[in-house]
Parts: sequence; C-alpha cells; structure tokens
Amino acid sequence: MFINWALQEINLKIVYYGPGMSGKTTNLEYIHSKLDQSLTGELVTLKTKEDRTIFFDFMQIEVGRIKGKKPKFNLYTVPGQVYYASSRKIILNGVDGVVFVADSQKDRMEGNIETLLDLENNLMTMGYSLETFPWVIQYNKRDLPNTESLDILQKKLNFFNVPHFEAVAIKGTGVFDTLKSIINGVVQHVQAQL
Amino acid sequence: MVQVKKLKDGSRQIILTAKQFDEITKVLSELAAKTKASTILMADISGQLITQRGNTDDINTAILSALAASDFAATAEMAKLIGEDAKFKLLFHEGEKRNVYLSNVGDNFFLVVVFDVSVTLGLVRIYTKKAIQNLLSVFDSTEKGDDAGKILDQDFSSMLGDMLDESFK
Ligand SMILES: Nc1nc2c(ncn2[C@@H]2O[C@H](COP(=O)(O)OP(=O)(O)OP(=O)(O)O)[C@@H](O)[C@H]2O)c(=O)[nH]1
Ligand SMILES: [Mg+2]
Repeated sequence: MFINWALQEINLKIVYYGPGMSGKTTNLEYIHSKLDQSLTGELVTLKTKEDRTIFFDFMQIEVGRIKGKKPKFNLYTVPGQVYYASSRKIILNGVDGVVFVADSQKDRMEGNIETLLDLENNLMTMGYSLETFPWVIQYNKRDLPNTESLDILQKKLNFFNVPHFEAVAIKGTGVFDTLKSIINGVVQHVQAQL
Repeated sequence: MVQVKKLKDGSRQIILTAKQFDEITKVLSELAAKTKASTILMADISGQLITQRGNTDDINTAILSALAASDFAATAEMAKLIGEDAKFKLLFHEGEKRNVYLSNVGDNFFLVVVFDVSVTLGLVRIYTKKAIQNLLSVFDSTEKGDDAGKILDQDFSSMLGDMLDESFK
C-alpha cells in the first residue's frame, strides 16, 4: 500500500494468483471490457505467442474520490506455469491482497494445491502468511463438465475459510463479486491492523 | 523519514507526507531541467507510481512504473543467479530515439529517466546520482504523516462498496 498525502491517493496492489490456464488473465480481460473507460487504464499483457502469461498482466482501476481520497487499485496476474516461479515472486512484491483463481476441473486439483503452497511459500519469505493475509478463492470454469464439487474444492483448498466464489470467467460470472470481495478484504485488513 | 511501516502481519505500508511529496517533486523537476529528460518517474519497488515530471501526457506512466519495477526485480534475480552479491544498481535501455535509465533510490524506490538519444548518458548519470542523494535526504527528514487508519475508516469502506457496485453494473 502506498499513501500520498499531497494528492490524497491510496494505492493498493491486488494480485491474481493460480495454476496455469486457470483463468487469471480472463478475469482481468473481463473487468477491463466491462468497466467504463474513464475508470480503467490500458490492460497490459506480457504473454507468449500462445497467449500464456510470461511475466504479468497489469491494469489500474480508479473509482473516483471518496471523502476526498482517491483510491487506486493496481491489478496484476502472475504466470501460472510452474517454471515461472521467480516471476511470481517478483509480482507479489508489495502485494496487499490476493485472488486465488483455482481451476475447478477434477484433473487440475493437484495443480491448484501445488500453486497454493507456492503462494504460501512466497508470502512467507515476505513475512506474511495465508492465515492472516487478505485473500479470496475463485473456483473458476464451473461451466465445464468434469468439475469437482464445491464441497470437495472447499475441503481441499479453503482451509482458512476465506471468502469463495464460483465463477465462469469467460462469461464474467463471479468476476466482479470476487474483485469486490478482495478490495473489501484489503480495506478491512488495513483497518484491523491499526 | 518516509514512513515504511511494517504492520502486525508483516505487510508493508509506505506513507508520504505532503511536504515530502513537494520536495521530491522539486528534486525531479530540477533533474528534468538539467538533463532535458523527456519524462522522469519515481516509483516504489512494488511498481506503484509516486510522482512524475516532464511529458507524461502521451505515456501511461502507471504502466511504465509497473514494467520498470518488474524489470528491476527481474534483473535483481538475474544478479543472484549469476552469483552477484549486490543487486545491479542501474539499468540502461538504448533506443533509436530515446534511452531509458533506471536507478534505485535506497531500498524501496527507484527512478526512471527517459531522455533523447542526443543527450549523453554520462550527463544523465551524474545528475541522476545527485538527485538520488537529495531524494535520500528528503526521505530521512523526520516529519510524520497520519496513519492509513485515519483514511480507511468504516465510512470509507461502505462508500467504497457503493461506488464499486455502481461501477460494476
Ligand atoms: N470453459 C471455460 N474456459 C475458461 C474460463 N475462464 C478461462 N477460460 C479459458 O481458459 C484458458 C486459459 O485462460 P487464461 O485466462 O489465459 O489463464 P491464465 O490463468 O491467465 O493462464 P497463465 O497465464 O498461463 O497462468 C483460455 O482459453 C480461456 O478462454 C471459464 O470460466 N470456462
Ligand atoms: Mg495469464
């Protein structure tokens, strides 16, 4: 978080984390396509020819002034593919809140768990922990036929009982609810810390 | 001191007072004048833009800061991989029309200087180095700002919620 008293600006950094192909970039693309042009900047995507994120996606959202203050949300996605581990660590630098985008498909459970542990490891090197850090889970790709039940997903992934959302990011289902929840979580967290 | 607060859970908060901001802006204006740099940014290492000088109308500087921070961080990782003890202190990208010079300012911030290829790098380096010293002394000044708690109160949360609902229709 960065606060500039001269401009009355509050900058918050929110990172979409999750295994490869879970739909992180799709979340940002949807938000970008739906929000009024005056509220969002460009969406920058650093990707390979195959549309896989190679470093990160970035987009800034502003919602106008609140009590004279101007909150700005900097949204990032990380590359989910296993071998971009160090890029994920870099993007997490200075993070205020995380959206974990899980892939609901049965054969992706392993990938979800692995990436969640990777997240916990990276947070720990920065002195945070999933137990106290603001984060939410989005169970994405609920439209596909071979998905795990919500119950099992919850048992295996949501061990700290954080807010969770079912989503179909390509259609936008659950995307704004997820974003609103993490923004809320981050703001509440800042209040609780003081 | 620019407040870089570690909260209970280890998360980091950077707070800049109005006075510090003014002084930082002054240093950057001076640097822009001396180097004829077309654009100068100061950002924190997580990629959040702090202030900018020069021509910033046709450049999305929020994106430039995010990219520059990652560039910096990626290079630091590279340094580690090849066995460098310290981070690389500066980065230089040479273009056809413009060059970009990046340099860290203490542990938490960095500068991005975009300048015309006709300006010599040596000159930019000398003045940037001086500017960094000035910035570091601004950071060391003892004035304290208010807490984030004063801004992000209960009222703020609920108003923010309403505004998000409004925007996400
Ligand atoms: N069926 C279905 N497909 C989805 C959904 N969300 C995303 N996809 C598709 O899944 C693929 C991967 O989505 P991305 O958003 O690029 O995934 P990512 O998490 O950014 O992947 P990396 O950048 O490699 O980490 C794309 O082809 C998307 O169209 C969804 O809810 N349902
Ligand atoms: Mg992606």
